[in-house]
Amino acid sequence: MPLLGSFCLLFALALSAYSFVAGIIGFIRKDERGFRLAETARRAGIGSFVAVTGAALALIWAALNNDFSVAYILHHSNRALPTAYKLAALWSGQEGSLLFWAWLLTTYGFVLRLRHKTDRRLFASASMVLAGIQVFFLMLVNFVANPFGIMDRVALDGNGLNPLLQYPEMVIHPPMLYLGYVGFSVPFAFAMGALINRYPGEKWIHITRRWTMVTWLFLTCGICLGMHWAYAVLGWGGYWGWDPVENASLLPWLSGTAFLHSVMMQEKRGMMKMWNMWLIFTTFLLSILGTFLTRSGIVQSVHAFAQSSIGAWFDGFLVVVLVACIWAFVKYRGDLKSENKLESLVSRESSFLFNNLVLLAACFAVLSGTLFPILSEWVRGFKITVGAPFFNKVMLPIGLFLIFLTAVGPLLAWRNTSLGSIKRNFMYPAALSFGLGVLLVFLGVKPWQDLPYLYSWLAFVLCALVLFTVASEFLRGGNVLKGKLNTNLFGAMYHLTRRNMRRYGGYIVHVGIVLMVIGFAGQAFNLEKEQEMGQGDTLAIGHYKLVGQEYTQDDNANYESEAALLDVYKDGKQITRLNPEKRVFKASGGQPSTIVANHSTLIEDLYVIYEGRNPDTGHPIIKAFVNPLVAWVWIGWLVMVVGTGMALVPNAQAVKVPVPGSVAVAAMEKRGMAPVGAGR
Amino acid sequence: MKKFARLLALFAGIALLMGADTSELRYQNVGGKIMCSCGCGQMLLKCNHVGCPNSAKMIGQLRTQLAKTDNDEDVLQFFRNEWGVTMVVEPGHHGFELLAWILPFTGLGVGILLLIVVVRKWSLKPAPINPADAQLDPQLEAFRAQARKETEV
Repeated sequence: MPLLGSFCLLFALALSAYSFVAGIIGFIRKDERGFRLAETARRAGIGSFVAVTGAALALIWAALNNDFSVAYILHHSNRALPTAYKLAALWSGQEGSLLFWAWLLTTYGFVLRLRHKTDRRLFASASMVLAGIQVFFLMLVNFVANPFGIMDRVALDGNGLNPLLQYPEMVIHPPMLYLGYVGFSVPFAFAMGALINRYPGEKWIHITRRWTMVTWLFLTCGICLGMHWAYAVLGWGGYWGWDPVENASLLPWLSGTAFLHSVMMQEKRGMMKMWNMWLIFTTFLLSILGTFLTRSGIVQSVHAFAQSSIGAWFDGFLVVVLVACIWAFVKYRGDLKSENKLESLVSRESSFLFNNLVLLAACFAVLSGTLFPILSEWVRGFKITVGAPFFNKVMLPIGLFLIFLTAVGPLLAWRNTSLGSIKRNFMYPAALSFGLGVLLVFLGVKPWQDLPYLYSWLAFVLCALVLFTVASEFLRGGNVLKGKLNTNLFGAMYHLTRRNMRRYGGYIVHVGIVLMVIGFAGQAFNLEKEQEMGQGDTLAIGHYKLVGQEYTQDDNANYESEAALLDVYKDGKQITRLNPEKRVFKASGGQPSTIVANHSTLIEDLYVIYEGRNPDTGHPIIKAFVNPLVAWVWIGWLVMVVGTGMALVPNAQAVKVPVPGSVAVAAMEKRGMAPVGAGR
Repeated sequence: MKKFARLLALFAGIALLMGADTSELRYQNVGGKIMCSCGCGQMLLKCNHVGCPNSAKMIGQLRTQLAKTDNDEDVLQFFRNEWGVTMVVEPGHHGFELLAWILPFTGLGVGILLLIVVVRKWSLKPAPINPADAQLDPQLEAFRAQARKETEV
């Protein structure tokens, strides 16, 4: 089976290389023979998907059948490993995860190549670009990090999977993240294809809109699953530590979010064509950089794999892609002129400009902080550590400004907005959120006490502002439709949403973001306490009292464990029983892993970890945290998923504007206007 | 306006009266910028490594230094000297490390400058106006405004 896997990988590389070269020749020739050559390139691309799938299946087969003659399986699996984690072994190591990258890329390419009838010329070019990316990753898995390396001797058992990865979310977190990283290759390929084919309009954006949104959704889910995993497994009481690899996933997310916003300018007003082109180029480059940071071990991280020579390959690939982007842009930039100009600073267009500016500033801040240790090593010979305090200081003001723009942006109309209209739309949400700010002060949130409290207070007020403006948008639109459709307000809001799923789905995504930020803001009020606890001992934290009931030990084929059984009382009344645990995995040389016990409510989490026994006294040590509002982070994520799902659904019908038809059409034609908002 | 000023004065008064004990907050803030040096890779105050050889000593030093000086940067500098520059996870505010703080805001500044240039370029070259629009019928304009408004819904 390993031989079959190796053969499949070589065959896939040959097919991808053919697809790339034949695609280029077909693109240059532009005659009947060129067209036929491009068709063979497309079929070779489909063949590469079949070959890489064969290789991935061969590796999974080896994992499921405990074939420890394969070095990769020996190092990342063992006999006692549960089946789901054996499947996860495919992406738990360097070689396997690169194979997984290649497989996802060929899968996306397979779907793209099957849908070529939509626009043969554009799809052929996009397929050619994807084939080029495939060649790079298949070269890596064939020549640098081959997952089918054979051992000299066959061991009886494997070294096991990293204990930190033996958690249900870890089975889906990496694939989600990879679907996000790899998925940005598709809009990148279409953008490049449209540029070199001199496509004048927004066709590539219309074709890739859903691809981009689905990719963005996968990346969002990947990041949030990673946060939840960190919260549930790492046992430090938090979910985001500004680790370089976490940052690497945030970078394409930020630039991808900027892209999703700014393409609306191009679709509606024919503006920012060059900007959008560079945004998608940047997003793809950052996806590759993210993979490079994870794989190369160039930065210290809880996720990083060992130092390897793979970094030089990624450096080379990044340079090649950047040069290709600059070449295509310089050669064809004449076709990317804006059709319209900004008419007013107080308009939806300018709010998108600011939104893009702030998102990219955030992206640059994260990138510079992440890469600064490498820069300091070059300049000073050692790596300066840049951790959470730095990122919190830099990112919090930027994030708060972004939330403010999220509140203001939707209230502005396209082209121009009068000050009277802003006042009218903004007055009630602003007054209500200010009132909430005052209420928070009386409830004990004292922004003058410390900087984190000030940030938290501002976050609550700005989040309320966003929620009120989104609600006012739904209410205003619902009130307009209520009379026209002769229905109640809720029915009208439903119809309103169905008529413009993208816009109102986008608002729901904003609500999701805001709920997450409310969860983040709760961190300023975290409590933590650590103490030795024997049977019957108590630990008091916040409103809670923990009483040690029992301490147990267990032993199975995969791990040994120690656990505590704690009764939890709140205001004198028992509310639950928690069972924090510490596991020591046998196959991984005694590496420990924490199983956190968490009592979660909408107001706060009681988060308890079993740290082990004090070597001097032999007493168990329990650490407890009270983390306010964390549940809203996960609720916000689910709301974002729902909102993105809504934005992907086609509109129910176009709005019929009750203006005399001939007058409205004449008015629009004279100005070259197209309807905006609903129906688009 | 007077009412608003009174309200502000009221809040300022409440703020002054409420006050706060900031010593614990300071301990958490400064401690949150130092890593445990035992190799566990965790922040000093988050280290959950049982039998850690260094964290207890470092926490003791942190409390001593906080009592000794009001300047947080001096406390961090003590840890840089004592345990190595990589143990403090926030870059310093001088020399090469200052660059880490400058870079993000330089990016933002360059972005704002670019935005101003683009907006000025756009406003200096307004969109061409269709000659037919020069003689606009007020009724037609009203219908256009209505169409614009209603298609925004």
